[in-house]
Amino acid sequence: MLKLSVLVFLLIEITSFIRLTKCQSYENARCNCICTIINNTKISKAQYIANVPPNNDCDSVILPPTNGMQVNNHTEKFCPTCQCKYESRNTTTIKFVVIVVVWVISLLLIYMMFLICLDPLLNNRRRKINYIEHTNEEDESPNHTHLPEVSSQFSVSAVTSSSGVGDSSSSGNVLNRVSHHQDKWKRQVQEQRKNIYDRHTMLN
Amino acid sequence: MESHPLKGLNINASNDVFVNSVFSSEGTNLRNRSSYMSSDDDMVDITTSGTTGEGTLPTDLQYQPQDSDDIPGIGQYEDFHTIDWQRDIARDRMRHRYIIKRKQNSILDTIKGAHDAWSGWLCVLLVGLVTGTVAGIVDIGSSWMSDLKFGICPDAFWLNMEQCCWSSNETTFGGVKGNCSQWRMWSEIFGSSRVGFWAYIVSYLFFVIFALSFAALAAGLVRVFAPYACGSGVPEIKTILSGFIIRGYLGKWTLIIKSIGIMLAVSAGLSLGKEGPMVHIACCVGNILSYLFPKYGRNEAKKREILSAAAAAGVSVAFGAPIGGVLFSLEEVSYYFPLKTLWRSFFCALVAAFVLRSINPFGNEHSVLYYVEYNKPWNFFELIPFVGLGIIGGCIATIFIKANVYWCKMRKTSKLGQYPVTEVLAVTAITAILSFPNPYTRMNMSQLIYMLFSQCGVSSSDGLCDYVYVSNITVFKNTTSAEAGPGIYRAILLLILALILKLVTTIFTFGMKIPCGLFIPSLCLGSITGRIVGIGMQQLAFRYPHLWIFNGECDSSDDCITPGLYAMVGAAAVLGGITRMTVSLVVIMFELTGGVRYIVPLMAAAMASKWVGDALGKQGIYDAHIDLNGYPFLDSKEEFAHVGLAADVMQPKRGEKLNVLTQDSMTVFEVETLMKSTEHNGFPVVVSQDSQYLVGFVLRRDLILALANLKRNPELYDGNALVTFTITAPQLPPNSPPPLKLKKILDMAPITITDQTPMETVIDMFRKLGLRQTLVTHNGRLLGVITKKDVLRYIKQLDNEDPNTILFN
Repeated sequence: MLKLSVLVFLLIEITSFIRLTKCQSYENARCNCICTIINNTKISKAQYIANVPPNNDCDSVILPPTNGMQVNNHTEKFCPTCQCKYESRNTTTIKFVVIVVVWVISLLLIYMMFLICLDPLLNNRRRKINYIEHTNEEDESPNHTHLPEVSSQFSVSAVTSSSGVGDSSSSGNVLNRVSHHQDKWKRQVQEQRKNIYDRHTMLN
Repeated sequence: MESHPLKGLNINASNDVFVNSVFSSEGTNLRNRSSYMSSDDDMVDITTSGTTGEGTLPTDLQYQPQDSDDIPGIGQYEDFHTIDWQRDIARDRMRHRYIIKRKQNSILDTIKGAHDAWSGWLCVLLVGLVTGTVAGIVDIGSSWMSDLKFGICPDAFWLNMEQCCWSSNETTFGGVKGNCSQWRMWSEIFGSSRVGFWAYIVSYLFFVIFALSFAALAAGLVRVFAPYACGSGVPEIKTILSGFIIRGYLGKWTLIIKSIGIMLAVSAGLSLGKEGPMVHIACCVGNILSYLFPKYGRNEAKKREILSAAAAAGVSVAFGAPIGGVLFSLEEVSYYFPLKTLWRSFFCALVAAFVLRSINPFGNEHSVLYYVEYNKPWNFFELIPFVGLGIIGGCIATIFIKANVYWCKMRKTSKLGQYPVTEVLAVTAITAILSFPNPYTRMNMSQLIYMLFSQCGVSSSDGLCDYVYVSNITVFKNTTSAEAGPGIYRAILLLILALILKLVTTIFTFGMKIPCGLFIPSLCLGSITGRIVGIGMQQLAFRYPHLWIFNGECDSSDDCITPGLYAMVGAAAVLGGITRMTVSLVVIMFELTGGVRYIVPLMAAAMASKWVGDALGKQGIYDAHIDLNGYPFLDSKEEFAHVGLAADVMQPKRGEKLNVLTQDSMTVFEVETLMKSTEHNGFPVVVSQDSQYLVGFVLRRDLILALANLKRNPELYDGNALVTFTITAPQLPPNSPPPLKLKKILDMAPITITDQTPMETVIDMFRKLGLRQTLVTHNGRLLGVITKKDVLRYIKQLDNEDPNTILFN
């Protein structure tokens, strides 16, 4: 379930991503010009950013003589002292990375909330269900409702095989294995927590 | 960390082992314990615990009669145990020999042999690729999130402040960063203006709130998913590389949480950096990927070769300094570093740096934010202030180490340690509230370092560069005089405040339960100090250019002193004092600055700071933390000139009983009782109880696995069967149960010494050969055992420290 929603969200994200990149107003290259302005007795510096000409040669950039800077009578001296440098970046990478990071953080946050708030409740319920299962093998529907959520974090193969094989015994087996994995992982984290937060034997 | 293999039953079990204290108290439940064991392997879905003899193991591992890979799990170690380098290397040699032998058999075997030969290179290649990618993600993510504290780019929320205004031609030089219409400060969104009292309040509020939420998230993630992800990780990596097992420390959850956590922690504006954790992240990558290659994944000693290379890649991407990374791995973290590993580290660092560089996370064509290009000459007399900076750096470093270790001890022992998340929040709140008013602490630390490193003139009109301009239109040169304007004095005052704040907050930050590195804060402390000293020198030279100290070199030129260079040297000095690095530090620094011209100043400062640091306090921060945690780390740097003999150190002590197995006269029952009644991690095997002639050494873990294996077939299991470690079974009376042959788990070549061997030699053997234990003999008869733990305790005792508390918490 969680996995599916993630996939859907990712799809939406990707489509919006493609749409946005089309009308991108943030270029991937620029000419960064640093100009020296001499104003009577003072020398100051100014940065001017120009669009990259088609031949990618920033030295041939023609800067407008007045661009909002206080150069009145020294315009002719202003132009030759500019030094332009070609710079590039990749906004697509930045965008992709930031979106992925935001997603991962929100997923972890949701899962953390789940572990902190819901899991103790579910664990109680599961214990009861397991007990029922012992008496009645066929009754496995409640198991299906909440376990895949857990499993999606752990093993892709487990999920695909459980969806591919309709056989109840094997899927139950897989689910057991997944929950076994999760329990094992939880035990390990508990152990780590004990070492670090309670006994202070490590990483002080 | 092993128990004493021979310690008697009745001897105090309280000071026993790391294992017992760290592990749960259900110590006797060994089968349960061994099921934890392969946790790391499970994490990457390669199970090493296949069922016995069902052909689940690859054929190329079932070769040698000596090796016992047909019993699952043999050759691995328990959590918090020391590895036996010699044994693992011997195992690998056997495996290699087998592959060579098989090579001629068929084409498939030839291909297998070729794959085996290049798998090391392939593995480090993959490690480099992944490390570079992860580093790129962390860099981009953290720079974006840091700027989220100030505002947002509404049209393209994924861009940070600088990137948002990147192609805008509104920016003028020297303007405030992010001063373009696309970038919106929070005060603009929620208020109306960018300046003014209310705007300041709104910005302040958002700054603190974002910092707190990032820090809370980081602390929460670490606590819930991977507690091992906290801290810098370098002391632990050092210990692991010296041959120690910490299961799960390099697992995939640690990798994910550490990467995410460090982004959050850096963005929270805390006084920490991502460079140290990057080493840990790289080692996690190395560990996870090594499981793709059984040659490395199943052999702990071989795995450490990959981890050494990964550590190099970590520093390589952290500083954009590949060679510095290799040297860091060699000088600081690695324990066993043969030439082969050096080349692999070189390659790994190269690949990682290349990948990061092609990702171009900062858009400056470099892999670090604070890359500066320097080409100004320095004068000979400047060596004196450089050495002075080294001395100051050493003092700052000592203050830092002492205070930090004291605080960490407090945290460990007092009630404070019970509130890890609250502590993070409190420190974050204080840091955020105090650092916002000062522009130098408000900005990202890497940016501050960049600003302090760079030269004035071409750079911004920040107060730091408020020199009095002298126009010289005729020459058409931008000459700024060295005379300080009022902005500089203000800047210096702010920098001094920033220095104090950073020093204090870093002391409290390092060791909190979030991912936190130490490189950036120490570079920052150093560069502030250096810049202040540099400006001081500059003013001195400007006011009194004819002082003898300047040697006439400052007579003609106005700017004979570059404060940015001093910042760089100061950064090197403090970092060198804190970590006690020398060679790698200098190389990292000059790779950062792209000029070999400053090697001598950097060397002078690093050396001076190391001397001062060594004189004032014994250890660098990493060694101090290793000591604080009591990790079993046998430092190869120290020298020992103590007199002592192996007989004084060995276990059992005089008058105590030596627990041994005999080679062919003990029953399964007897062996089991012996194992139940003792805690040792290994038992020597002797010819008989009377003669005590040594046959070999068997590990407890292997013995347990072998017996557990036996118990799976109840019809074969008979408690009265003899356990034999010989090739031929002894003559048995008729109708007695068939003996249990355990020769394959017996180590026939244990390292032995005599009881008269001096301790220096013993320690040297432990350090150089990476031993786990050595057997002590007298006239060829077994007397006792010395384990690595005994050696460590001995060293502690000689240093007049309490051996029990220090090593085993």
